Amino acid sequence: MTPAPSNRVLTATSHWRPTAALGRALVVGSIALAVALVVGDPSLVVIAAPFVLLVALSLVHRPTREPRLDSHLDHVVLHEGQGTTARLAMADVDDVEFVTRVAGRPPYVALRPSGGYVGRLLAEGVPDVEISPRRWGRRFLGEEYVALYTPWAGFRYGPIALGGQQVRVLPVTAPYDSRAEVPQPLGLVGAHRSRRPGSGTELAGIRSFQAGDRLRRINWRVSLRTGALHVVTTRAEEDTGVLLVVDALADHGSSGGIDGAASSLDLTVRAAAAIAEHHVRTGDRVALRVVGRGGEQVGYGAGARHLRMIQDRLATIQVGEVAEGAGADDGVLRLGVTGGAVVIVMSPMLAESIGTVAATLTRRGVTVLVIDTLPPDARPPGLDGVDPGLVDLAWRMRRIERSVVLDRLAMLGCPVVAWRGPGTVDDVMRRLARRAQQPRVVVR
Amino acid sequence: MIPLVAAMPTSQLVLRALVLLGPVVALLATGPAGHWPPWWAVVAVLGLAGAFAAMPDSPVGAGLLLVVLVWWTIALGDDIQPAAMVAAAALLVAHLAAQVASYGPATQPVAVATLRLWGLRAVVLLATVPATWAAARLLRGQPEPAGVWILATTAAVAATVAATVTLGDRREA
Repeated sequence: MTPAPSNRVLTATSHWRPTAALGRALVVGSIALAVALVVGDPSLVVIAAPFVLLVALSLVHRPTREPRLDSHLDHVVLHEGQGTTARLAMADVDDVEFVTRVAGRPPYVALRPSGGYVGRLLAEGVPDVEISPRRWGRRFLGEEYVALYTPWAGFRYGPIALGGQQVRVLPVTAPYDSRAEVPQPLGLVGAHRSRRPGSGTELAGIRSFQAGDRLRRINWRVSLRTGALHVVTTRAEEDTGVLLVVDALADHGSSGGIDGAASSLDLTVRAAAAIAEHHVRTGDRVALRVVGRGGEQVGYGAGARHLRMIQDRLATIQVGEVAEGAGADDGVLRLGVTGGAVVIVMSPMLAESIGTVAATLTRRGVTVLVIDTLPPDARPPGLDGVDPGLVDLAWRMRRIERSVVLDRLAMLGCPVVAWRGPGTVDDVMRRLARRAQQPRVVVR
Repeated sequence: MIPLVAAMPTSQLVLRALVLLGPVVALLATGPAGHWPPWWAVVAVLGLAGAFAAMPDSPVGAGLLLVVLVWWTIALGDDIQPAAMVAAAALLVAHLAAQVASYGPATQPVAVATLRLWGLRAVVLLATVPATWAAARLLRGQPEPAGVWILATTAAVAATVAATVTLGDRREA
């Protein structure tokens, strides 16, 4: 969670106005007294007496100073499910007895108190509103209306609208870890076992001593038994490049936030965040390429700041078709895949372009893994004026075409797995790593 | 409407029930003195009280309380009955309950401390009712002091001017 800057200026202003209750008491009290005097009815004086006293007490507490208000959030960057507090800053509130706050309710946001309504006597402290975004994305939080009341509720200040703040809600990082090797480690220093010998920790073999070998590599037990110096050889450990391709062409299924059902884009973004975090922690270089209207991308990099950059880009994904000419060449996407990189495509695989690019890369010998993020219960949205039966038929046909694409990708050697959280890609990565040891024919 | 009522916290429901019942009790308070209101008047007040309970911040409340005052003027004339204290208490409780209910939206719960404070204030305000009633009983039948009407009219005009100045400059500000 990233805290918000604290040096805010109190700007929002309004004016004190008599409340409806003061007007009501004034009307009832004055008219009752007037009628009592005119018609000589003492009962009306008895009824009017408490109202007259109430009006008098309200006017005695007439406000003299204009309060200044502002609200701010404690944090401007959150993960899904995390919470922050919207605090109300007030100045010149000597005339204020009661504070009412009514927080706005943007979608995918939980509030406490429930509903976002809170009112309290100022003597008990300024009431806070707790806000928790339930879905990743860029959200406008903390917007609210505030009203202040004088003692005896004779005058009200506001309600005035206090602007909220843009908050980046990063996708939740599901507990994800993988012990599988990446298929083609081809970097400098990392944690993956390489095919070439080097100064790692994984045993590669024992051979006769050669000039230039380090003395600490000598295996004395074997050397004494054979009568000649032998050294232990190890495999190098290297990092690898991981390119995450996120399909943001459309969002299928309904999203209930972190507590409810997940749409295809929810699964995609959360899977990308989890895989990125895992590989960054193991020292790999990770890049991101979003296929969608925004075309967000992050180059290869490593480290915590790079991970935050990837999460930020994931939180600001714009759903929609790729703009013409942006990252696409005659309908074929350009992903900028570098040699030795592992490409992980996260997609519901309903767009032809994604299937095409996965097949093309696989044919060229690039290690491609497709993570299927289409929710099993995804349904097309109802369209006005369109026969629901026709929509269902079209959806079934689209799913059949999709299954054909997935089968063809599998035949090409591109594994497709459904995202199931931790352990989703372990088995597939191990198989890809074993396959990478074997010779194969690729199309150039 | 029903979903809104279902979403209301208990405190709001209790306050709005007081707003609903207060004017009706005040209207029916003339009954023990032999002046029961006609059924259509009760229905009309009940309808207005329902609107007042639904919209405690609206001008309906002032109109409703005036309707009750009119009935009291018609029913009892210059007679002074102990039931006037009941009517005063019922109207004041309805007024204060509407005030507290309108502190925020209908689904905003009202804190116990707030209810306690306004309960104490209601007691303070209601203390004027028996005192006024006793004074009215004592002064009933006494000869009018010279100039009392001039004094009363002057006081009423001064109070009206003061209230106008107080409220008017706030609206213009």
